[in-house]
Amino acid sequence: MSVFGGDSWAREAQCRKRRVDDLLVEGIDASAYKKLPNGKFTCLVCPHNPILDTPLSLSMHGKGSRHRAAESRRKERELWRQEELSKRLALSNCVTSTSSSNVSYQQCKRGGKPLIERTRKAASEIFSYEIIEQRNKCRKPDAESVISSCLYGQSIERKEGPVEMMVARKEVVVDQVQQLDYRERRERELQFTAAGWKRDCHGRWFKDENVEFDSDEEDPNVVLNDK
Amino acid sequence: MYLYSLTLQQATGILCAINGSFSGGKSQEIVVARGKVLDLLRPDDNGKLQSLLSVEIFGTIRSLSQFRLTGAQKDYIVVGSDSGRIVILEYNKEKNTFDKIHQETFGKSGCRRIVPGQYLAIDPKGRAVMIGACEKQKLVYVLNRDTAARLTISSPLEAHKSHTIVYSICGVDCGFDNPIFAAIELDYGEADQDPTGQAANEAQKHLTFYELDLGLNHVSRKWSEQVDNGANLLVTVPGGGDGPSGVLVCAENFVIYKNQGHPDVRAVIPRREDLPAERGVLIVSAAMHKQKSMFFFLLQTEYGDIFKVMLDHDNDRVKELKIKYFDTIPVTSSLCVLKSGFLFAASEFGNHALYQFQAIGDDPDVEASSDTLMETEEGFQPVFFQPRKLKNLVRIDQVESLMPMMDMKVINLFEEETPQIFSLCGRGPRSSLRILRPGLAISEMAVSQLPGVPSAVWTVKKNVNDEFDAYIVVSFANATLVLSIGETVEEVSDSGFLDTTNSLAVSLIGDDSLMQVHPSGIRHIREDGRVNEWRTPGKRTIVKVGSNRLQVVIALSGGELIYFEVDMTGQLMEVEKHEMSGDVACLDIAPVPEGRRRSRFLAVGSYDNTIRILSLDPDDCMQILSLQSVSSSPESLLFLEVQASVGGEDGADHPASLFLNAGLQNGVLFRTVVDMVTGQLSDARSRFLGLRAPKLFSIIVRGRRAMLCLSSRPWLGYIHQGHFLLTPLSYETLEYAASFSSDQCAEGVVAVAGDALRVFTIERLGETFNETAIPLRYTPRKFVVHPKRKLLVIIESDQGAFSAEEREAAKKECFEAAGMGENGNAEQMENGGDDEDNNDPLSDEQYGYPKAESGRWVSCIRVLDPRSTETTCLLELQDNEAAFSICTVNFHDKEYGTLLAVGTAKGLQFWPKRSFEAGYIHIYRFKEDGRVLELLHKTQVEGVPLALCQFQGRLLAGIGPVLRLYDLGKRRLLRKCENKLFPNTITSIHTYRDRIYVGDMQESFHYCKYRRDENQLYIFADDTVPRWLTASHHIDFDTMAGADKFGNVYFVRLPQDVSDEIEEDPTGGKIKWEHGKLNGAPNKVEEIVQYHIGDVVTCLHKASLIPGGGECIIYGTVMGSLGALLSFTSRDDVDFFSHLEMHMRQEHPPLCGRDHMAYRSSYFPVKDVIDGDLCEQFPTLPMDLQRKIADELDRTPGEILKKLEEIRNKII
Repeated sequence: MSVFGGDSWAREAQCRKRRVDDLLVEGIDASAYKKLPNGKFTCLVCPHNPILDTPLSLSMHGKGSRHRAAESRRKERELWRQEELSKRLALSNCVTSTSSSNVSYQQCKRGGKPLIERTRKAASEIFSYEIIEQRNKCRKPDAESVISSCLYGQSIERKEGPVEMMVARKEVVVDQVQQLDYRERRERELQFTAAGWKRDCHGRWFKDENVEFDSDEEDPNVVLNDK
Repeated sequence: MYLYSLTLQQATGILCAINGSFSGGKSQEIVVARGKVLDLLRPDDNGKLQSLLSVEIFGTIRSLSQFRLTGAQKDYIVVGSDSGRIVILEYNKEKNTFDKIHQETFGKSGCRRIVPGQYLAIDPKGRAVMIGACEKQKLVYVLNRDTAARLTISSPLEAHKSHTIVYSICGVDCGFDNPIFAAIELDYGEADQDPTGQAANEAQKHLTFYELDLGLNHVSRKWSEQVDNGANLLVTVPGGGDGPSGVLVCAENFVIYKNQGHPDVRAVIPRREDLPAERGVLIVSAAMHKQKSMFFFLLQTEYGDIFKVMLDHDNDRVKELKIKYFDTIPVTSSLCVLKSGFLFAASEFGNHALYQFQAIGDDPDVEASSDTLMETEEGFQPVFFQPRKLKNLVRIDQVESLMPMMDMKVINLFEEETPQIFSLCGRGPRSSLRILRPGLAISEMAVSQLPGVPSAVWTVKKNVNDEFDAYIVVSFANATLVLSIGETVEEVSDSGFLDTTNSLAVSLIGDDSLMQVHPSGIRHIREDGRVNEWRTPGKRTIVKVGSNRLQVVIALSGGELIYFEVDMTGQLMEVEKHEMSGDVACLDIAPVPEGRRRSRFLAVGSYDNTIRILSLDPDDCMQILSLQSVSSSPESLLFLEVQASVGGEDGADHPASLFLNAGLQNGVLFRTVVDMVTGQLSDARSRFLGLRAPKLFSIIVRGRRAMLCLSSRPWLGYIHQGHFLLTPLSYETLEYAASFSSDQCAEGVVAVAGDALRVFTIERLGETFNETAIPLRYTPRKFVVHPKRKLLVIIESDQGAFSAEEREAAKKECFEAAGMGENGNAEQMENGGDDEDNNDPLSDEQYGYPKAESGRWVSCIRVLDPRSTETTCLLELQDNEAAFSICTVNFHDKEYGTLLAVGTAKGLQFWPKRSFEAGYIHIYRFKEDGRVLELLHKTQVEGVPLALCQFQGRLLAGIGPVLRLYDLGKRRLLRKCENKLFPNTITSIHTYRDRIYVGDMQESFHYCKYRRDENQLYIFADDTVPRWLTASHHIDFDTMAGADKFGNVYFVRLPQDVSDEIEEDPTGGKIKWEHGKLNGAPNKVEEIVQYHIGDVVTCLHKASLIPGGGECIIYGTVMGSLGALLSFTSRDDVDFFSHLEMHMRQEHPPLCGRDHMAYRSSYFPVKDVIDGDLCEQFPTLPMDLQRKIADELDRTPGEILKKLEEIRNKII
């Protein structure tokens, strides 16, 4: 880090870092990682459980294509499992209904393979429990899903639907503008870094001492803050 | 990746040349070594050098010598090569091949310092040959003949002496006494042992005589004496009654006559007056000419001046050594004085020349002599002379040479059908930009406008025995024009031809009558002027005609064929009619075979996409003999007869055969062999020629039948050195053509195109490219193409020369001084006879630039318009600066548009240590449509910028070992980012997306990545092999092609998984923190292709030389050869060619004894490249061997030839 500036900012920086870490970790689904006793993290999604040193690297790992592939695979599996479950549940219902009509056969069958039957029962219990839990989870409505549904142009089944939608739309538009602005800003920032500017920990820009600048070069401290 | 390597143009430079009578008898031939190719040249009667034979030997030829056994009529060739073997060759005139007489192994292969092969010396009486290495070893072989007069060779006799470096060896002519060989040697034994360096300073060269005792069969050191330390060359002096024997020792500034028991006779070599005092004068090549009564030597200095050296002797005593200025020609690597009065000068760089002697410099005044040698306390007094125009020699022919090729690009700047190759060639004042186009060169004799747009043209003789054509007949839409050929070509009306209608065919028929076929009949004009007219029945018209000298077949509309023959009385008689199923598209009759009355075959092409062969025999007249279906309807047919040949001038023996060629509507030329007996068609080949249906015409080339195909460009099919070649002509689109012969032009072609009649001849058969040369000022280094304006920007630089203004001034001054010296005062000079010389300065191409101190550089930047060959801007760099790198660059968001960046160095010196005063990067802007350059600013850098490249709107520069990114500032370039971790010196930079491929001078490629968010350059991969890079080219995202200075071409590729990992590094931490071992990069590229070319590749370029063809890598070499590497597209082809190569290696080992596989693997084992040059030697094998190989490959020899032709056609 540069010696430019001179403010003692180490503690502040540390705190900020911790806060950033916390925020970062918060954003990640808790079931996707595990904090190890040595303070490192391990990803539970990826099949080889990579160890990651910091929350930052964990979050970056979460954006990597391999992780994403593993995640989507997991989701797929989950979905499949759910499907299978509902299928079996339907099947088991069906079986019970038929069993009444044909008791002797059922009994003979049950008596024949008690172990299998027990396993199946236990399994179905577990499955159904999970599905209930998941349903509960799904039922929670949150703003994000509203917006996303808005985005895809789905109508919302609420009384004050139109008004709410208007609001939501506005929000989305604002959000998009901000995002665009952000991208532009990011591009400007990249241009400045490529031109040899660096940032100190306060976010202020300073000139890299190994890089040459034109006399009338734009100062990012001025240009970017104006915006 | 598998590649097929093919040489497109053989090396054009010459390393050594010898002359003699290799075919026996009186004829004089020259054998030249072009690196890996052995050529036999002969000056023909017109003084043009013809190449008789060219053989690739798959080895490096290091020395050549010729000898003749006493009493024999024929010279043999001894070849010293890198094979560790001595090879004696004999030229076989009948088969046009070099036959290997002897091949004796003596050492390891490769160019090693103690394995002989570097030097060859012959006993002048042809009794022994000495082959020497650079150090230590010398072997002597005794040559003799056995009872059957065959040449025999003994086992080797050793004349080794360890710790000696050899500079030159030669045979000493001592009549029929024991053979003696002389050598300039330096003993470094003591210098090696002495750490103080005193012995090294005192090391002394010696002239040593080795005597071969034929009685004892033993070689002994006979005599050794000190010579000047500047001695570099030995020349044999005739002896044994013809002269005093002994040797001439050529040393720096002196020529010394030496012999055992004879005092030295020394004369100083005259110097040019403008030569700086620090420079000496060395002799670089020598030739001796001996006649019955006299002999003399021609010695050429390193500045190009030839001196005639004469020895005034009285039996064995040499009284005086005289040196006389002879003439000045460009510096040669070998001089050959032919007995027929020619001098062949094999230039060191640039075009070779053949001179004729006008005189032999017999005037008594000489520049230097041993008698007038003046010794002062500062040494010997120098002698000066003034170069003058050629007096004794006159140049009669030159052979083009691209050596050395400095840079090359393949671009289609002229928007022609095929791209042009732009190459920078030559050195110093003889440098040039050469534009090469695939195709034969033509020279246009005449172009004349005609009153309308002609549709066809023919030439006819009046009598079958006439040498030249009598008329040119041009047909228009409804008229016919007859021109008579004489002193001038003019229109005539008394020829008897019908001029009110268009013509379909005009030819000589019978012995002396003419025939004109027009739509409504046939007009037969007898010699005495009588005219017989045959009219078509009813309203039908003639649509197509086929004829030879004695037979005519016409096709009427509707598809009826009528066959006529010339009977004994010269009348044209109708013989047969035949109804075809539909309209006839084209017809042709085979030429009448020698000694027959008629030809048996008529070929008829129909619109139903078939070609039929009909019989014309009276027995089965108009019977269909065979039928061939083709891909599109035929437009034109031509029978081409290849006469039986057994060797002779053009080589390989083949039986007579008849080919049927058909030009199809879709632009394809279809070619089959016609069985001479049954008329069956076999071995069909087709080749796409252009967008128009080819029209075929028979013409004469070098006295043989050849085929001219007119598609969207003209092509010529002809036989050269035993191969049938089909090559495009570099000429515009033609409509119709006929052969043309007159006393001004023996073998020409007359053609119509547009409304003009053109007469041209075809030149330099057998060559792949024709060239246009544009002279340049200094040695060209690199060039770039201005992307939009299609202009070339060339940087040129030379060391040890004066700039143009200084040169002009010096020249003037020098002439004045010379005038003063000769005439006493200036006034006299003005009135004197020397004025002409003064007004006509000597051309630099001939005489070379005046030499300056070695630290002086001259350099220029030139903008050249290749279309008009005009230089639109030439900036001469000042202050000892020289340009080394160039690129065009578009800086992002700056207003100038395309700019030119040039890297220069000031005061660069290589000796005693590499040093320089400063390095700069100049930025120029283009003005006036890119035609003029204007300096924007100049930035000093701390090294020599050897590589520049645009990257993401900025400029990447390789400055010594530093890779640096610059942005454009107001007053200078602004350093934005750098990486100093490169091992030696960056010589090349290529970029693609965010990757940068950096070539290091000694350490091959480094793959880098620029991270914008961090403003950092990272090296993420490098090569494991230290390659001395000479050329590089970017192939794809992960692959680079490179060439090293040892003559290897290689491809490296980053493994796919590594590449993916690099590209997918979301945190960016990996590339930052990953470290390799031993200061290397963390990842390594893999070598996927490796091949030894055998010649230093200076430029690589990816391009396609045929329209619509696949891209291949084209390379150019120092020796001036061009080659291509084509990647195979199918596994079957790879299998086929690798098997063919394997069989060729076994059945046809290289001529000079080098193992083919070992040669191609000289530095690294060859990998995944098939040698097309070896495969293409398949047709030169004897027939039985061809059949044997073909059997093993489960094919016929014809199929193999077809396959070879196919793959060649994919490249060019």
